[in-house]
Amino acid sequence: MEALGLRDDMGDKSALAAHNSLQLIAFSIGEQTYGVEITTVREIRAWNGATPLPNTREFVRGVINLRGTIVPIFDLRARFGDGQTTPTKNHVVVVMSVGDKWVGILVDAVSDILTVSRDDIHNVPEGNSIDTELLNGIVTHDSRMVGLIDLHAVVSGAKVDA
Amino acid sequence: MSDLDDFKATYFDECSELLTELEEQFAAIEAGERDADRLNAVFRAIHSIKGGAGAFGFSALVGFAHAYETLLDYVRDGRIELSDDVVVLCIRANDIVADHVKAAQTGDALPAEYGLDEKARFDALARGDSIGDDDDSGGEPMDEFDIDFTPVMVRLDAAEDQSEELPDTFEMPPMQAEAGHWEIRFTPYRALYARANDPLLLFRELAALGEMHVRAILGEVPPLSDFEPFAVYCSWEITLVSATLTEAAIREVFEFVDGDCDISIVQVGSQGTASAAIIAPPAFVDAELARLRSQEQNLMALADDEMGELLSFTPEPAPAAPTIQDNFEAAPALSFAELAETIQPKAAPQTAAKANPPKPTLVPAAPADGEESHGRSVGVQSIRVDLDKVDRVVNMVGELVITQSMLTQQMDETLRARYTELVRGLEVLAQTTRGLQDSVMAIRAQPVKSVFSRMPRLVRELANKTGKRIKLETIGENTEIDKTVIEQLSDPLTHMIRNSADHGIETPEKRSAMGKPEIGTVRLSAEQAGGNILIVVEDDGAGINRERVLQLARDKGIVAPDANLSDEQIDQLIFAPGFSTAEALSDISGRGVGMDVVLSNIKKIGGSVHVRSWTGKGTRMTLRLPLTLAVLDVMLVKVGESPYVVPLSSIVETIQCSRASFERVPSGERVLQVRGEYVQVIDLAQRFNMAGGSAHDDRFVVLCEAEGSHKVALIVDDIIGQQQVVIKSLEENFERVDGIAGGTILGDGNVALIVDVQGLKTAIVHKNAA
Repeated sequence: MEALGLRDDMGDKSALAAHNSLQLIAFSIGEQTYGVEITTVREIRAWNGATPLPNTREFVRGVINLRGTIVPIFDLRARFGDGQTTPTKNHVVVVMSVGDKWVGILVDAVSDILTVSRDDIHNVPEGNSIDTELLNGIVTHDSRMVGLIDLHAVVSGAKVDA
Repeated sequence: MSDLDDFKATYFDECSELLTELEEQFAAIEAGERDADRLNAVFRAIHSIKGGAGAFGFSALVGFAHAYETLLDYVRDGRIELSDDVVVLCIRANDIVADHVKAAQTGDALPAEYGLDEKARFDALARGDSIGDDDDSGGEPMDEFDIDFTPVMVRLDAAEDQSEELPDTFEMPPMQAEAGHWEIRFTPYRALYARANDPLLLFRELAALGEMHVRAILGEVPPLSDFEPFAVYCSWEITLVSATLTEAAIREVFEFVDGDCDISIVQVGSQGTASAAIIAPPAFVDAELARLRSQEQNLMALADDEMGELLSFTPEPAPAAPTIQDNFEAAPALSFAELAETIQPKAAPQTAAKANPPKPTLVPAAPADGEESHGRSVGVQSIRVDLDKVDRVVNMVGELVITQSMLTQQMDETLRARYTELVRGLEVLAQTTRGLQDSVMAIRAQPVKSVFSRMPRLVRELANKTGKRIKLETIGENTEIDKTVIEQLSDPLTHMIRNSADHGIETPEKRSAMGKPEIGTVRLSAEQAGGNILIVVEDDGAGINRERVLQLARDKGIVAPDANLSDEQIDQLIFAPGFSTAEALSDISGRGVGMDVVLSNIKKIGGSVHVRSWTGKGTRMTLRLPLTLAVLDVMLVKVGESPYVVPLSSIVETIQCSRASFERVPSGERVLQVRGEYVQVIDLAQRFNMAGGSAHDDRFVVLCEAEGSHKVALIVDDIIGQQQVVIKSLEENFERVDGIAGGTILGDGNVALIVDVQGLKTAIVHKNAA
């Protein structure tokens, strides 16, 4: 349940952050890197199991107890249609606030904190509907492609259609 | 001024209580209990509302309440007969007062003409009855009370000087010493006010005994900075002149405040000269005293403009006035005595005409008033506590209960054998926490009366609108339920009663044709049954027209055309969304939202609704509500590998699958036979799409009772035990999940889901019907 130390290497990078730039938390699913804006992230914790919720889609992994409130966990890999993650203690849950709700996202690992310029954000190429649905944009960082996650889209449509 | 805001909040709290009381009193009055106690209670309530409103400067409210109070006063002393019309007018007046209070609370302004009609009717009533009846009330009774009290600055701390300084300000009738000249010194203690006694009433009674002059003694009033709002600083000297007066008669007036005040009664000889600073004819004594008293109590809260008015009217000593005004903010140590006011009647010529003592018609009522408030106030010892504070305690106790049950779970046999003292300690802890929990819940519990008391007028209005004759009976209104539940109860109950009155009860002609009494009865009752509260709305009307309900439900696509429903299932359809059977949409019910709202509101607070109907005989709707919302007694079970909890209140029994007798109905569905009854079976593992062992014999049947003695058998993989849990919302961070009523956190920190027994059952019915 230990929170990962995130703040250690931030000192010089945050100095670079001008108002036109964006700080992201980057995390990986397999070979892919995704990012969310750092201000939405509330907490990062190791995977410690979740209570499954019935009658929900496969990407809803269940709910966990976060200091007395119940928080749902979404499996990002499954959300992208690549099948459920088989989580281990090394997997990570990123707890974020979406609107006034708190949700957790299950990812393989948290890799970095990135500072990118808003001007460098590209539109998602038309094509795969899941990508365009779930991503807000794409940025390149150190010649890696980082998909910006649209959290509202990720957490919607969780219930099994009646 | 945040203190003032606090006072205001308290005032509005009190107003809502007082308005509720008004409803109750009028319900009783309407039912024929027209005794003095009721009227006095009404009078008191309106008076309290008016008093506070004056302090905060809600002038519209004061104006209306004042006119209303005057009417009540006339009714109370018999000048106006309490006819049905007057009662109806009063009930309407209560609404207007409530609207004014609400407007004052929200800061919205009501239209200026709001309530004027009623006010005019008060006037008309008061005038019509009093002409030629009472000299003192004259032709303009409202004016008597609406007089502008012109505040006059006097230095009451130097009363003797003043009578010389201000010889023209007051009319000073010569006081002749004569037989039956009495001087009374009356010094109330704080307890007198605390018991809701009112010196004003005493003075009114005294005024009836003879010619009276009253002088308020304000010498003890401290500087404003030391002023304590609830302290008593004012005492009075009363001179009473009547040839036939005896001491016993005076004593009798003070009988009910005996012990709560100092009274000295002296018959004055030839030297008895009144050193009165304030002399007013009896008709104004009341008003003057009320004014003084409210001044005393509310000085702290005096609105600035009122203060300005007070000061600007100061004729003597003139030079002091600007100084006071200028320094008012800067000089909080201003003496109250300097601020005190006296009353100068607006129309001096009328004064003489009104100088005759009022007819002593109020005498019988007043002692009853004193007696009632005396008796009632003794038992009431309460404090006001912010609900948030109580909730914080409730939440912490909830967590404590869970920790305690977690500790108990940790005790295994070896530990038990080894640490007997620890075991004993845990047992005591369990008892104490349970006791603590019950006590805390009792703090939140309130009698359902607060909701029930709104219903009589609803029924009355409905009866008027529909032209039916309806009688409402309420039973068990002292049953206590959690405050949150009560708050959620008002809308559903209103809808249910509307439904009964509008759809259930027939017109008088129809009823008599069917051999029923012309007056229909709606019975509203509350009782506690185990861990639940049952609230029943029953009527002796026509009952549910099942054919029509079914037809409508089919037309509206709520059930499939070929669905075969039992009578009870049809009855239950009236709660389906979008369903309404009223042929003519009335403005009372029939928009097809009512009963749907009932179900969803009740479900939201963890309750259930059941309806039973007997054609031609009536309908009974039963609300089953939890006693408390915070902590739930549950059975912890396993479905697949996940923990689930089932509310203990809905469990009838548990059976091992190997001992249960299952049958199959033609559709292939499994049913459970238990004591001759066939019960629908829901395999939770299947229902929740979980890989559960299908080896039947190790599993368990949890027989649950859903709405209205409908049973359903849940099959679970294991039964772990019984415990108490705190309900947590899933919707807070997620959304509603079918078949799940919420979540809870177990002693080991994991989340367990609460099975929504009724939801599972309903889902199946809909599936069958669709």
